[in-house]
Amino acid sequence: MEIPEIVLDNLLLFIPLILLEVGLMITALIHVLKHPDYKFGNKLMWILIVVFIQIIGPIVYFVFGRGENE
Amino acid sequence: MKDIYYFTKKELLEVWRTKRLLILLIVFIIFGILSPLMAKLTPEILKSSFGSEIQLTIPEPTSIDSWVQFYKNITQMGIYILVILYSNSVSGEVSRGSLTNLVTKGLNRSAVITSKYLVIAMQGVVAVCLSFSITAAYTAYYFPDNNSPHIVIALVPLLIFILFLSALIVFGSAISSNSFAGLLFTITTIALFYLMNLFENISKFNPISLIGENVSILQGETQLNEQYWAMSISLLATIFLFSAAISVMNKKKL
Repeated sequence: MEIPEIVLDNLLLFIPLILLEVGLMITALIHVLKHPDYKFGNKLMWILIVVFIQIIGPIVYFVFGRGENE
Repeated sequence: MKDIYYFTKKELLEVWRTKRLLILLIVFIIFGILSPLMAKLTPEILKSSFGSEIQLTIPEPTSIDSWVQFYKNITQMGIYILVILYSNSVSGEVSRGSLTNLVTKGLNRSAVITSKYLVIAMQGVVAVCLSFSITAAYTAYYFPDNNSPHIVIALVPLLIFILFLSALIVFGSAISSNSFAGLLFTITTIALFYLMNLFENISKFNPISLIGENVSILQGETQLNEQYWAMSISLLATIFLFSAAISVMNKKKL
């Protein structure tokens, strides 16, 4: 896959942005896998939400989806 | 005072454990990076979506565009993320029943509200300042022009609005029994303020005007002292909502 020129021109902006998004995704993904009791929905649904909806997905999971038990 | 100190500590631990603090900071850092990026990319996106048939003269992006994006991101998304994250701060605690023990053991109820307010307001202010510094750094690097001289002054109204919003969140959460009711209350109140802003003679006093004029303050077109009324009203409303939340809490059945 060829990286578009515009991304290469703005690496200083894209790299931290991608790192943060991926970091947020991984934090949420680990939480989804380790705490399998959710307020609603099932594991597969939350994995799909967290992985494919950038930024909003993890927020929705941590606010509405996660169970009360630590 | 001791109550406030210990309860604040507990609150901070809670926002850390539930990952709310982390989410808030990451999202605001993302906004900080996204704003200059959007300013840089918008002309490119326009070019590629219209193709080469139409000759468009798109002006080069300046630091103003970057700040426009910043205030758009923060005021149209950021503040709502704060609201969503903390709309159950009081009601959640009451419905879980975790306060019953503490209050019967002598914890002051007003300390609960004070700590909640302090923690939410602190996080809001820290998140906004963090986001602001990142945008400021990138903007200075990518758009080194003199179009936006008053960046720090322009941030002041936004910070005051955050203090007001935090009180609104705590009050909304105190009067409602679940997180959705609190969320609904806060969002509806903000929507009402936006509606009130349509009337020009009210808008001078309206707290919502604190997040509408930032870019023009930044350019030096509006002076900060034009917003003194809105700022004073917001701070008064903050104190009022805060005391109201305490009296609601005092009467609340745990």
